[in-house]
Amino acid sequence: MSNEKRSDVAAEQASEPDLDRGVVEAWVAEAISNPDRAYKAAFYTATFFFLLTTLFPFYWLFMVALTPRDGLRDVGVLTPGGLNPGAFIDIFTQIPFHRYIFNSFLIATVATVIVLFVASLAGYVFGRLRFRGRNVLLLAVLVTSFFPPAAFFVPLNRLFNANVEVLRPLIEAGSLYNTPYAIFIPLSALYLPLSIFILTTFYSQIPDGLEDAARVEGTTRLGALFRVIVPLSAPGVATAGVLTFITVYNEYFFSSLMTDGRPENWAPMLEGILRFQGEFEVLFNLMAAASIVAVLPVAILVIVAQEKIVSGLTAGGLKE
Amino acid sequence: MRPLNWLETRSEEVFAYILLAPAFLLLAVVAFFPLIRTFQFSLLSDQTATRNPFGGFVGLDNYAALLTGEALLPQQFLDPAFETPLLQQALFVTLAFAILSVLFETLIGFGQALVIDQDFYGRRWVRVAIIIPYAIPIVIQSMIFYLMFNPTVGFAADFMQWLGVFGQNPLADSSDSFVIVLVADIWKTSAFMALLILAGLQSVDRGLYDVARVSGASKWQQFKYITLPLVAPALLVAMLFRTMDAMRIYGLIDATAGCQTVPSMSCLVITALQETRRWATASSVAFLTAIVIGVMVVFYLVGLRDTEADVA
Repeated sequence: MSNEKRSDVAAEQASEPDLDRGVVEAWVAEAISNPDRAYKAAFYTATFFFLLTTLFPFYWLFMVALTPRDGLRDVGVLTPGGLNPGAFIDIFTQIPFHRYIFNSFLIATVATVIVLFVASLAGYVFGRLRFRGRNVLLLAVLVTSFFPPAAFFVPLNRLFNANVEVLRPLIEAGSLYNTPYAIFIPLSALYLPLSIFILTTFYSQIPDGLEDAARVEGTTRLGALFRVIVPLSAPGVATAGVLTFITVYNEYFFSSLMTDGRPENWAPMLEGILRFQGEFEVLFNLMAAASIVAVLPVAILVIVAQEKIVSGLTAGGLKE
Repeated sequence: MRPLNWLETRSEEVFAYILLAPAFLLLAVVAFFPLIRTFQFSLLSDQTATRNPFGGFVGLDNYAALLTGEALLPQQFLDPAFETPLLQQALFVTLAFAILSVLFETLIGFGQALVIDQDFYGRRWVRVAIIIPYAIPIVIQSMIFYLMFNPTVGFAADFMQWLGVFGQNPLADSSDSFVIVLVADIWKTSAFMALLILAGLQSVDRGLYDVARVSGASKWQQFKYITLPLVAPALLVAMLFRTMDAMRIYGLIDATAGCQTVPSMSCLVITALQETRRWATASSVAFLTAIVIGVMVVFYLVGLRDTEADVA
């Protein structure tokens, strides 16, 4: 390597004649004789470009949020049209936005717990057990993810709107519409396949010997799953959990159609943001402020978990 | 006898089926049952006036009406006579959107993945910054781009008009809105592609690059002969997931331009349902969407098998 460098330098000196060159020309000549420099420059340019394009929309949204209501025409590319940090308080006083966030948070958490538990059992079976019909069942799981949410919507809508006498003691109205169940039941099922696939690959990589050892020690098969296999597959479980939480929290289709949009009826965060579209005036600055607040939970999750997600996807053998 | 002991004495096969029961129960209620019902609904006729939205059995008439452009909908699924402008036909919008968005997202996502795969000071934060759009709720992503292209608040509409690309109110024009939706989607989901491609990049054996350097391969040759072939399967899987997702686009459109302006197939299901109360037609649109997605998936699976055969 160092040898190569030295010969490069030598070549550079040899090929650098005493011609009078402009700055750009000189840089290009140098880049040609020493391509590593060009790669470095390209790398920093690309990094800068990607950072600018991904972060600018957030910055601009923040500028809109800071703008007072009557200054919205004056929002610039980089500057707000006035200064009104009070918007971040108004969103909680004008409507109970914290309640919407809580609803979304609860729905996403419950869905994640259900998905992780059910997908752990299924992933264990698909990853470690031999039985008849394995491939057919795995295919059945895969096929459900071909269908658009819309394909499930009509019957589910009827199902959740139906009055079921059995539910009366639990839910006053007797139907699941306007309850968190109407959102997290469909979403847990629809995002289940992804977690099943991630966990199947993870669980299948745990050596049989470890499970056998636990069994010899006297645990049951289920005990071995939850005490040995799941803890050893922690990155996979974390990845599946984080991805499920993010997708459910961010979901639009069922979240916007399964409640009437009132916070006490378990409407999720997206309805809260859309509530600022009043009848006479759309409060864009409050929508922007609400959006920034609503992004925070998932943003923090990404910051904390990004290393885990990347390693989880890598080890999950996505390459297969 | 305690239930756990009972479970413990079952054979492996019975044990497997019992553990799969919760997953399949959930899938049966939320996925299999509704799919069968939707298919049954799609074979009935529409009843827009009565309380029950379904009429008698009509076989595949709804599908035929959709494919010949005779269905009574605010937008056409497909108009073979081309009387409807292309960008108001759901099948065209969906396919164009899926192909263009996946193409750009793959290219940009690959670039981003190559950047965050490097070792450099502050990599952790650059990674977070590049991945974060993926975690943004659809409604917020829509809001950002809606505001940017809103003629009173945003600057982007003025800028695009100055360039002479967009008309007066871009969010009410089909082709302008299509571009806006496309850009918004690329902004968010390139990050997802980057994440999946990065996973592929990280599983490439670093020793291969040392070998390549010793044999005098340039960076470009290293990329072409090592990175690309080894990442290809992961890339195809990522593209498969993205294509399936892009073909179901609904939320982004609904919250920016609206389903009337940019009718995707999922959009058409909801407009048929809510605005015209044609439940049976809506069901057949939903099924046609699934069929189109299924065809795309088959193409990918064939491609995936071929690359795997190449690698092996």
